[in-house]
Amino acid sequence: MIPAHDRLGRMLAVVPWIAANDGPEVAEVCRRFDLGERELVADLELLFLCGVHPFTPDTLIDVDIADGRVWIRFADWFRRPLRLTPPEGLALVSASATLLAVPGSDPDGSLAGALAKLESVLGVAADDAVDVQLGPVSPGVLDAVRSAQDSRCKVEIQYYSFGRDHHSRRTVQPWRVFNAGGQWYLEGWCESAEGHRLFRLDRVTEATVLAEAAPDPPVRSGPPAVFHAAPEDPLVVLDLDSEVHWVAEAYPNEGIEHRGGGVVRVRLRSAGRAWLERLLLRAGPHATVVEGDTTVGPTAATRVLARYRSPG
Amino acid sequence: MSRLERLVNLTAALIDAERPLTRDELRQRVGGYSDDPVAFRRNFERDKDLLRQMGMPVMTEVIEIDRSESSLGYRIRRDDYELPDPGLDDGELAALRLATSAVQVGGSDGVTATALRKLAGAPGKPAGPRPSDSPGAAVGVETAALPGGPEVATVFGAVAARRRVEFSYRGQPRAVDPWRLSYRNGQWYLSGYDHGRSDARLFRLDRIDGSVEAIGSPGAFERPAEAAVGPAAAWQIGDDEAVTVEILVDAEQAAFARASLGAGAVCSTVADGSVRFVVAVTNRAAFRSFTLGMLEHAEVIGPPEVRADIVAWLEEIAR
Repeated sequence: MIPAHDRLGRMLAVVPWIAANDGPEVAEVCRRFDLGERELVADLELLFLCGVHPFTPDTLIDVDIADGRVWIRFADWFRRPLRLTPPEGLALVSASATLLAVPGSDPDGSLAGALAKLESVLGVAADDAVDVQLGPVSPGVLDAVRSAQDSRCKVEIQYYSFGRDHHSRRTVQPWRVFNAGGQWYLEGWCESAEGHRLFRLDRVTEATVLAEAAPDPPVRSGPPAVFHAAPEDPLVVLDLDSEVHWVAEAYPNEGIEHRGGGVVRVRLRSAGRAWLERLLLRAGPHATVVEGDTTVGPTAATRVLARYRSPG
Repeated sequence: MSRLERLVNLTAALIDAERPLTRDELRQRVGGYSDDPVAFRRNFERDKDLLRQMGMPVMTEVIEIDRSESSLGYRIRRDDYELPDPGLDDGELAALRLATSAVQVGGSDGVTATALRKLAGAPGKPAGPRPSDSPGAAVGVETAALPGGPEVATVFGAVAARRRVEFSYRGQPRAVDPWRLSYRNGQWYLSGYDHGRSDARLFRLDRIDGSVEAIGSPGAFERPAEAAVGPAAAWQIGDDEAVTVEILVDAEQAAFARASLGAGAVCSTVADGSVRFVVAVTNRAAFRSFTLGMLEHAEVIGPPEVRADIVAWLEEIAR
């Protein structure tokens, strides 16, 4: 049985629409409000007994179902639906603003029109009170991978691996393209690596849809886990001065420990040598490797310094 | 009488009331409550809480009965209850339904269905903005996932109603006029006026400790038109002496740098595909961090003191 407030919420939304439309078809009401006919009829039968004191005919709601149509009269208390709650407003506005932030969406289409009207009713229309920006992606790359996904074709990408600081050309069977954590991803089967992979689209410099068909993707739902430190990734333990405590916040880690004197010890799984190099160069003298390869930082620093010392 | 029937009658009675009604008046008018005063009182409180949880503006007002006696009365004002008609056409309703199926907002399970019904549902089947003839094509495919939850919803409601919010941030209590909610880099940010600090501030919602409370009446402030939109780049949030830094980025990292620095920062493209950028910096440590994130694929060209600073930093690590 569904909770009383869910059913009440549903009834208070459906009644004003039926009352405002002169005898809509029951089937249309069901389709529009995503209800089964039995559910709807049960709601309406219950409503038939409701009203206000003194419960004389003109203070009772009148429901009439005939020839597949439905009329509601004397329900003036419910002439409009209840206002949207903050969670409802957030759900509608942020979902719409997000879809409109996808490159290639129509800024003058139905969704933009709907969002503008909703924002105006909710009081967030003026001065972009709610604003969504998805992560950087080249429109050409996004178009290509989405088109490969829709047409079930393989796609060839030029990909920069952040963890290994390495460029490679890969053929991917696309499963889906989505945005999570503010980044665009292509998920699929990488033929080059012979495995399931996630590719960040801001690191794809070129994407070409191939003529070759790709097999159907496996059935799944919900966004995939984007961050997954594998237990076999090497462990790095760092001591961080207070200047670089942001490292403990910014990187997924396996625990932090306050060591006194403002020093925090953090345990991380390294996602690749280049990944660790970046972290150590950014944190500089404020991070000390306690466990792990202590040569990574100095070697990387020497390599970057070589660029600064080379003539011209 | 079922509880649901009683709740419909209670809602109607509260909306119908031209003045606040006492609990006993409501018992007489609504019907369906127990004759036992204790049981009635418990059921009435439960019903009232349920209506409020649904978002109904059930007002509590003090009624003066005579000089020595007063009582609490309840009613719902129509203007607070009724959703103004946004005037959505069927195409717009269908587009909304599609958007809510394509974008997952955290904590919205079950909320979206009720919200869409309040807007008169959605006629027919959802139609996609990217029609495709291929089987299994992407109408309503999940396109994006955003964090949400009670704190973000409370802040959204307060931005919309222009009500002050209170919360704890970095261990300190804050009282903020919430101006804007922005989603950047996978996070929700609130910009607003921080009363304790008498200045505009930016807050990352996931760093708020505990819950957010909206307090006081709606329309408590005006949202300034010129307020900053979302967070600025890290190297522009700081009090260092402003300096214009020039960097050279290799071709393979140029797209990343352009996305981060903005197309306006591009100065020139060199024959080998590498790109020169010119950037205004007021936080040199943050900019050094950004540059070193590209390893040996980027180099600070000038001014000399910024270049010297990065060399000294690297030498200290290399030692």
